[in-house]
Amino acid sequence: MSVRLAARGLAFAAAACLTLAAGRARADVTLLFWPGPESQAMQKVIDAFNAGPGKTDGFAVKQLLFSRTGYFDKELADLAAGSKDFDLALVTTYTLGRYVPFLSPVGDYVSAAAQQAYAPAALDSLKSDGALYGVPTDISVHFLYYRTDLIDRLLKDAAWQKEYAAIAKARLGETMTPKPPADWHWDDYVATSLFFTKSLNQASPVRYGTVLQLKNLIFNVMLWDDTLVADGGNWLTAAGKPEIDSAPTMKAVRTYLTIIQDHATPPGSIDYEFPEANQAFGSGQVATMLQWNAAYAIVNDPKQMPMTAGHVGIAPMPAGPAGHKTHLHSLGIGLNKASTHKQQAGMFLTYLATEPAMEIYAKAGGTPPMPAVLQGMAATHPDFALVAKEAAQDGYVIRGGTASTAMAIYTLLAEKLSAIWSGQVFPADGLKSVQQGMASVLKP
Amino acid sequence: MPAPRVIRRREGWLLIAPLAAFLVLWLGFPFLTDVVYSVSQVGFTTLRQPRLSGFGHYAAVLRDAAFWHAMGFSFRYAAVETVVQVAAGLALAVALAPILSRHRFLLAFILLPLMIAPALNGLMYRLMLNDFVGIIPAYLGMLSLSPDLLSTGWVFVTVAAIDAVQNTPFTVLLVLAALQAIPGELRDAARVDGASAWQEFRRVVLPLLLPVLGIAGLVRFIDSFRVFDHIYVLTGGGPGNETTGISIYIYKAFFQQQQLGLAVAASMILLLLSLAALSLLMHRSLRGAVA
Amino acid sequence: MIGRTLRWLLFLLTVLLLNLPVIVTVLTSLKTDADINASPPVWLFAPTLAHYRAVLDDPTLDFPRYLANSTVIAGGGTLLALALAVPAAYGMVRSGAGARLVLPLMVNLRAVPLVVFAIPFYLMYQVLGLLDTRLGLALIACIINLPLSLLIAVNAIAELPLEIEDAARVDGARTRVILARIVLPLARPMLISAGILGFITAWNEFLFGLILSTRNAVPVTVAATFFTTSFGVRWGDTAAAMVLSMAPPMVLGLVAARGIGSALTTGAVKG
Repeated sequence: MSVRLAARGLAFAAAACLTLAAGRARADVTLLFWPGPESQAMQKVIDAFNAGPGKTDGFAVKQLLFSRTGYFDKELADLAAGSKDFDLALVTTYTLGRYVPFLSPVGDYVSAAAQQAYAPAALDSLKSDGALYGVPTDISVHFLYYRTDLIDRLLKDAAWQKEYAAIAKARLGETMTPKPPADWHWDDYVATSLFFTKSLNQASPVRYGTVLQLKNLIFNVMLWDDTLVADGGNWLTAAGKPEIDSAPTMKAVRTYLTIIQDHATPPGSIDYEFPEANQAFGSGQVATMLQWNAAYAIVNDPKQMPMTAGHVGIAPMPAGPAGHKTHLHSLGIGLNKASTHKQQAGMFLTYLATEPAMEIYAKAGGTPPMPAVLQGMAATHPDFALVAKEAAQDGYVIRGGTASTAMAIYTLLAEKLSAIWSGQVFPADGLKSVQQGMASVLKP
Repeated sequence: MPAPRVIRRREGWLLIAPLAAFLVLWLGFPFLTDVVYSVSQVGFTTLRQPRLSGFGHYAAVLRDAAFWHAMGFSFRYAAVETVVQVAAGLALAVALAPILSRHRFLLAFILLPLMIAPALNGLMYRLMLNDFVGIIPAYLGMLSLSPDLLSTGWVFVTVAAIDAVQNTPFTVLLVLAALQAIPGELRDAARVDGASAWQEFRRVVLPLLLPVLGIAGLVRFIDSFRVFDHIYVLTGGGPGNETTGISIYIYKAFFQQQQLGLAVAASMILLLLSLAALSLLMHRSLRGAVA
Repeated sequence: MIGRTLRWLLFLLTVLLLNLPVIVTVLTSLKTDADINASPPVWLFAPTLAHYRAVLDDPTLDFPRYLANSTVIAGGGTLLALALAVPAAYGMVRSGAGARLVLPLMVNLRAVPLVVFAIPFYLMYQVLGLLDTRLGLALIACIINLPLSLLIAVNAIAELPLEIEDAARVDGARTRVILARIVLPLARPMLISAGILGFITAWNEFLFGLILSTRNAVPVTVAATFFTTSFGVRWGDTAAAMVLSMAPPMVLGLVAARGIGSALTTGAVKG
C-alpha cells in the first residue's frame, strides 16, 4: 500500500513535469555563448548572416545562451560528454587548452588572406600546438585609466608637484617628477597613486590614488601578470619550466604590496573584481585604475557613472624594463568535434572571419581583433584606437596561457597571490609554494 | 523511552522499500562511478574510460595540507553556525510565537530571507559591502566604524553573519511547528501548579522541543559544513585560502584543476567520516525514537 | 501590555534585520544605474521599472518559463520526497526496521558536496534522455530533499501518541488507512514545515540546474545570473530577476504558514 502511495506521488510529479515540458524548434546551427554585450553584438552578425549567405544556403544560425557564472564548467561537461546540443561554442584563450580535445581545428575555414586582417597576437591566443581552434571575435587588453582633471592639474600645479616629489622621496626613496600617463613606468604609477591618497596627502581631492583588484580570482592574476611581464618575468621559461620564484616576480609583488600597505587602494580591494573596481573609480574618489578595456564604456558613461564621465583618460599599462606590457586574450568561436552540422557551421565561421562581419560586430558594441576595423571607428570610440595599438605592440600571451594546465595555474596563482596581498603569507614563501604547485601541475 | 514496535519488521521494510528502491535506482550509478573514479586516473577526456590506479588519490588527499585546512574551516564554520542559528532560532520562535500564531501570514516575512538563492544572496552582498556604494560600510561609517569586513580577521565573521541572517528562519520555522504540537493541557497544568513563565518553559516546553532542536542543529551543521555558494561568490575562497571550506576545495579540484580522481576521493573520505560521526550521533540521539 | 509592545518591536526588528538583503534587492531593482552607483548610497530616489522591463522584455530570455520550470522542479521534487519519506519513516519508527542503517545513510547524503555527482549524473541522464528536462531535475531535487524530509518525518511520527493508532488497529484499520487518516493529520505542522523547507532548498539549488539544463528546463536561479556579464554585474536587472524569483516561494510561504497554524484549531486530535 505504501508502494501505491509512493507511486501516486511519482505519477503526479512525472505528470507535472511532462505537461509543462515542451521542445523548442532547433536551429540548423547552434552557437553556445554567454549573455552580455558580446552575445548581443554577435546576434547582429548572425542576423546579417541569416539574412544573407545563410538564406542562400538554406540554413540559419541561432544562439544558445548560458549563464556566465559557471559557464566554463558547464561547457566542459557538455563537450566532454559529447553533447550535440550545439555546433559552435565560445572559447577563450585561458580555457582553450581544456577544450581542445573536444574541438575540431578551424584553420581551414579562415583563408590565409583573411588571417592577414587579424592582429597576430589574437590568432596566437587561440592556437594550441600551432593549430587554430577558434575564430577570434573579441579581444581584451588592459589599460591604465586616470582622471584627466586630476592628472592635468598635477602636470601644471607647482605646489602639487612639490608635494609629489616629497612623497616620492619619503615613500619610495627616489627623486621623481610627474609625467604624462603614457610615459609612466611602474614607479610613476606608484608615486602618483600615493600622491592622490588622502591619508598620505591631505590636499588630495580624492580618497584613494588607485584601485587594485585583489580577490582570489583568475582574472585578477591576468592583471597582475602585466606587472610581472613588464619587469621581465613570466610563468615559465622558454623551455616550459616554472620560473615564478624569481627576481622580476618579487619586484612585481612589491609594486602591488607598496600600494596595499600604504592604503592607496580602497580597503575592500582584497575582494574586488571588475565591477567593484569600476564602482570605486566611478564614485569619483579614486584617481587611477588598472583595468580591462571594456571598462571604458562603463566609467565614461554619464548614465552609469556621472561622477567620472567625461574625465576618463586611458594610456598603456605602465612600463617596466621590458617595456609596456598588456595581457591579451581573445574570445573566439570554436567547432564542437561532435557537431553533426560541421559544413554549415564552417560556412558561418568563414563569414565571421571577414572585415564586414567584424564591422557589424564592432558597431553593435564588440571589440573585434582586426586593427583596421578598430582604427576605422576610432573617431567615435577613442578606446578602440588604443586597443588596436596595444594588441599590435604590447600584447602578450603568457607562456603556458593556452595550455590545458592554464586554468590550474591561474587558480593556484589566484589563491597564493591573494594570500600574499592579505598578509597571510610572506611573499617569498608564497612564491616558493606557487613554484612547487606549478611544477606538480606541469608534471606529465 | 524506546517507542513501542506496533508493526512487524517485514511490514516496516515494505514501507521503506519504495524509498530504498528509488535511491538504488537513482544514486546507484553515480555512486559507483564515483567509487571507480576515486581509484582511477581520470580526466575530462577519459570520463568513459577511467584507468584503475589504486588508492593513490586517497593517500594524496590525506597528505594534502590544503584538504585539512579546508576541513578545519568547514568544521569551525559549521560549529559557529549551528550554535548561533539554533540559539537565535529558538529564542525568536518562542518570543514571537504569540504573535505568529495569531497572525499566521506574518510568518512569511520571517521566512522571506530563505527564499533568496544563496548564490544570488552572495552577489547582492558584493553590492552591499562595497566600500563606495554599499549600505553596510556607509552605516558603519556613520557610527565611525570602518572594519575592513572582507579582510583577514573579519572575513570569517562576515561570511558567517551573512549565513546566520539567511538561515536562522529555518530553525524558527521548525521550532514554531513543534510548539504547535505541544498539547495545551500540559502548559495549563504547569500554570495551575503555579509555575512562572520561565519555569514553564524550562520544565515543560524545552524538553518537548529538544528533538526538533536536535534536527535543526544536525541539519544546520551539515549544511554549514558543506557551505559553498555565498562564500564562493563573495570571496572565491579567499583572501588566500582563508574561507576555502571543503566544498570549495573539492569544486576547485574538480573543475579548475581537473583532478577528478582527487576531488572524488576527497568526498569519499568526507562521506566515510560523516557516516561514522552520524551513526554514532544518531544512535544516541534518536535511540528514544527509533532504536 | 508592555510585553505585547515589546514583542511587536522585537518582531519588527527581526524582520528588518533578517530581510536586509531582501530590502536592498527590492530597492536596487527600482533604482536607475546612476542611483545604484551613487556614493554614498541613496535611500530616496525616483523609482523606475526599467529593470523589470529589461528582464521581461529581453527576447533572448523567457522568465515566465524559468519560473514555471523552477516551480515544477521544486514542487515535484518536494512532493515526491515526502511521498517516499513518510511511509518509510512510519515503517522505521513503528517497526524499528532500517533505523540504524538507512537513516544515517540518508542523512549522510546531505553531507556530501554534490558537485562530485554532477558528471556521473550528466552521463547517466545523457543515456536516459533526461538532460535538460524538468523531470530529470525534479528527481534530483527529490534526492536533495529526502534526507531532511525523512529526518523530520521520523521525528514527527516518533512524537505521536500511540493510543489513537491502537484504537484504530483494534477496529481493524490497515496501515495505509492509519497513515492517511491518523498520522498525516497529526504530523501535519511538521510535514508542512518539511515541505516548505524542501521546496525552498530545491528552489535555490544552483549547480545541477546549471550543469544539467540547457534551454528547456533552465531554473530561475540560473537565469538570474544571466545578468552577470564579462562587462560586470548588471545589478538592477539582477535584482529585478531576484525579486521575480522570490515571488512563488513567497506565495507558498503565505499559504503554507496557514497550514502550520491551522493545526492549532484541530485540537480534537491532540494527545
